[in-house]
Amino acid sequence: MSAPAPVDEARGEERRAERSGSSSLWRTGLQRYAILIVFAVMIAVFGADLPSTFLSIGNLSNILGSQAVLFILVMAVLLPTVVGDFVDLSLGSSLGLSAMTLAVLNVQHGWPVLLACLAGIGAALVVGLVNVFFVVFFDNDPFIVTLGTMTIVQGAIYIVSGSNSVGIVSTNLSNWIFTDEFLSIPLEFYYGLAIFLIVWYVLSFTPTGQKALVIGQSREVARLSGVRVNRQRAWAYILGAGIAAIAGIAYAGTNGTVDPTAGSALILPAYAAVFLGATAIKPGRINALGALIAVYFLATGTAGLELLGAQTYYQQIFYGAALVAAVTIPKVNRERFFKRRRAA
Amino acid sequence: MPVTNSGTPDSGTPGDSDKHVSPREPAAPGEQAAAPPAPPAVEVRGISKDFGSNRALDRVDLRIGHGEVVGLLGQNGSGKSTLVKILAGVYDPEPGGHLFVGGEEIALPLAPGQASEIGLSFVYQHLALAGGLSVLENLTLGQRIGGGLSSWEPINWIAEHRAGAAVLDRYDVKLDLDRLTGDLAPVDQARLAIVRAAEDLRRYRTRSGYKHSVLVLDEPTVFLPEEEVDRLFDLIRTVAAEGAAVLFISHDLAAVRAITDRVVVLRDGRVVGEEVTADIREEKLVDLIVGAPARPGESAAETAPVEDRQAVALTLAAMESVGDAIAAGENVAVEHLTDERLHDLSFEIGAGEILGVAGLIGSGAEELPYLLFGARSTGFGALRLGAETIDIGGLSPARSVRERIALVPADRAVLGLSQSLTLWENIVMLVEGEHYRRGVFHRGELVALAREAVGRFLIRPPRARNVMSTFSGGNQQKALLAKWLLARPRLLLLHEPTQGVDVGARRDIYRFVKSAAALHHMAVLWVTTEFGELAEVCDRVIVVTQGRHTATLAGEELTEEAISAAALRQTREDR
Repeated sequence: MSAPAPVDEARGEERRAERSGSSSLWRTGLQRYAILIVFAVMIAVFGADLPSTFLSIGNLSNILGSQAVLFILVMAVLLPTVVGDFVDLSLGSSLGLSAMTLAVLNVQHGWPVLLACLAGIGAALVVGLVNVFFVVFFDNDPFIVTLGTMTIVQGAIYIVSGSNSVGIVSTNLSNWIFTDEFLSIPLEFYYGLAIFLIVWYVLSFTPTGQKALVIGQSREVARLSGVRVNRQRAWAYILGAGIAAIAGIAYAGTNGTVDPTAGSALILPAYAAVFLGATAIKPGRINALGALIAVYFLATGTAGLELLGAQTYYQQIFYGAALVAAVTIPKVNRERFFKRRRAA
Repeated sequence: MPVTNSGTPDSGTPGDSDKHVSPREPAAPGEQAAAPPAPPAVEVRGISKDFGSNRALDRVDLRIGHGEVVGLLGQNGSGKSTLVKILAGVYDPEPGGHLFVGGEEIALPLAPGQASEIGLSFVYQHLALAGGLSVLENLTLGQRIGGGLSSWEPINWIAEHRAGAAVLDRYDVKLDLDRLTGDLAPVDQARLAIVRAAEDLRRYRTRSGYKHSVLVLDEPTVFLPEEEVDRLFDLIRTVAAEGAAVLFISHDLAAVRAITDRVVVLRDGRVVGEEVTADIREEKLVDLIVGAPARPGESAAETAPVEDRQAVALTLAAMESVGDAIAAGENVAVEHLTDERLHDLSFEIGAGEILGVAGLIGSGAEELPYLLFGARSTGFGALRLGAETIDIGGLSPARSVRERIALVPADRAVLGLSQSLTLWENIVMLVEGEHYRRGVFHRGELVALAREAVGRFLIRPPRARNVMSTFSGGNQQKALLAKWLLARPRLLLLHEPTQGVDVGARRDIYRFVKSAAALHHMAVLWVTTEFGELAEVCDRVIVVTQGRHTATLAGEELTEEAISAAALRQTREDR
């Protein structure tokens, strides 16, 4: 039989754990809030450089408002990612589909704008259901299937719009979303904030959120614990599509005119924000608060660069660099660099 | 005559927990003075399960009474895990089986997680803990599963934290509630899984008014050092005394004999024996499990039958490239090996010698195989193989393979084998390069070689194209051994080679290693906490305590007791 483990060993282990605990606590704290620290530094730097333009209400309103559509899409993207279906590429197209449906019905067929909005949401939900059918029911790889649905929906958008931009959407919608402001910030920001608060609350403070988390972390453990895995996944796709539809409505309201490529350019930045957010607040875990911070961190960065006169493509570089840096920095430690390189 | 029905008469009101209820002969109806015997806590009748053409379970009957601890024994592939998975709702049994819990029939198949609703609580073999979740989150996982409106109730994390701390306190387990479960040592993970199951059971019993409750433990002692095993046993006794039924599945015959009232033996999916634990001898138990009479007092000298000598020789010969003679075997010496936990460790292994390393968990012995293989980035010292001297700090796994050092790690499923590749792909992994000539990859040769290895190493089922994950633990271990032996190592490093391996495969592994060492003059380092195993297999054993080489045992002094005593001695003196 195996030999007994001495009490000493347990004590030694505890001592070791305590020692590493205090230093790693500092390191974990740093890791969790690193992005906030960098964010603050960035604001300080831009603010010092352009005090009158950067640190103005107008700029704040611009940042918060202009990113609202992306912000809402990020909330949509968060859902399937949390449950472990890591990529739903079709969410950008669902945004576009809902916006275009709304626009076509409202502008070309005279539908009252509210009804058109509902139709837009309905269209996106259909896409969600299709994804559920092929990914969850048939147990296919989400990346491959949503790549397919994304392309199909994109095609559908072209058909519905006749490859044209459609506008101008009812000014009522534009008012509710973009023109009307509260505290000088367009209302759409607050809609996004409301969605964020709901998602954040559910994920962090309800059993449903915990179940979703376990599914994403260890699907088999979730299954063994009695979680209805496929059901949760299905809901994630459907609700994600619904929220993407709301982002589409916001898009239509903000821009007035909907072009067929709406949303397609937003899906990658949305994922960048989600993964960047996963390194903050609850490192290693997809979380809503982290994603919120990431979106506005990236937005502030690009706004600052814009004010400094940088061309828009620098934004792409900034986005990508921020994401790569965010995931690499926690892995850099003294050992990796200064350890003798081993002969391979 | 074995007792086949241990329907235990209920000792009275629920919660009447003083008496540890023991099995008796079934009373004929009408002879019972008090009320008729209460139904068993859980009973399965006629459960079968097929996987394609493979009948994993064949009309299995099993019952466990209130307060009874039943051990379930059987080799890998006998159906034990399948039965557990059916109870857990992961597998659906074939129609025609019945499940009764607390006397009531429950419709099969069970949904996953439904088990907890009917009073079954599990500690799974792989612990069913989510590595990315904190200890607190894993601990409270069971409470989140209710559906309907309760899934939207807000969680008060602060209160949960306090409650979690209280639970850990109650079981006297010290864990950091906020630590990521994946960062915990396997011992702590096992403790967490056990606490969780016990607590779920307790909650169920309180909620259901002390009706039946069942605790299922699948290989719970694998990660636990002996003092923990004793604590687990205390927990089981407490739980059983409160009236819960316990199903204890294990390879560890000593543990089973220590804690169970009855044992049920499965072989090839059928129940082949049901005995009162106290009434059956160990050899008979092994007979039932393995299906062949065990030779009593089998000594080390007898375990090298002719067939196996030829087996390994043939396999090795098959790999011999033209003109590349196998080295005649070299002495191995380790000099001044130092690490976080090891201090200036030095020892020698002769060519063809099996050297055991006995050390308690935490002594540093468990790091040895990985250090010598170059799998750790810390540590320095020298390794002499014959005439060559290698700097341990400069070793890496790639280099070790080139130097013909082999490592069979404890965590074979993750570190030793690729679960998604096939059996043959795993076995030939190290020698593939030798079958790539002039731009042509001679796959057929490799498959044939693998088939031969499968036959010689008694891997079952002998299907080289089956995916690795479908093989049981014992067969995976044999495959892992085959993979390394095919690479003609000079030094074979083994860490816990028979952990989670059934009795039959265990013996096979002893034989294979001994044959290879003898024939090929291969030096073997065998590190394990199973000191009895070391006494049986090794030529010499060194004892490592707190990172130092403190004793050497050989010949007549090589007994389990002597090894344990030596491993403990240093620590006692320090106190």
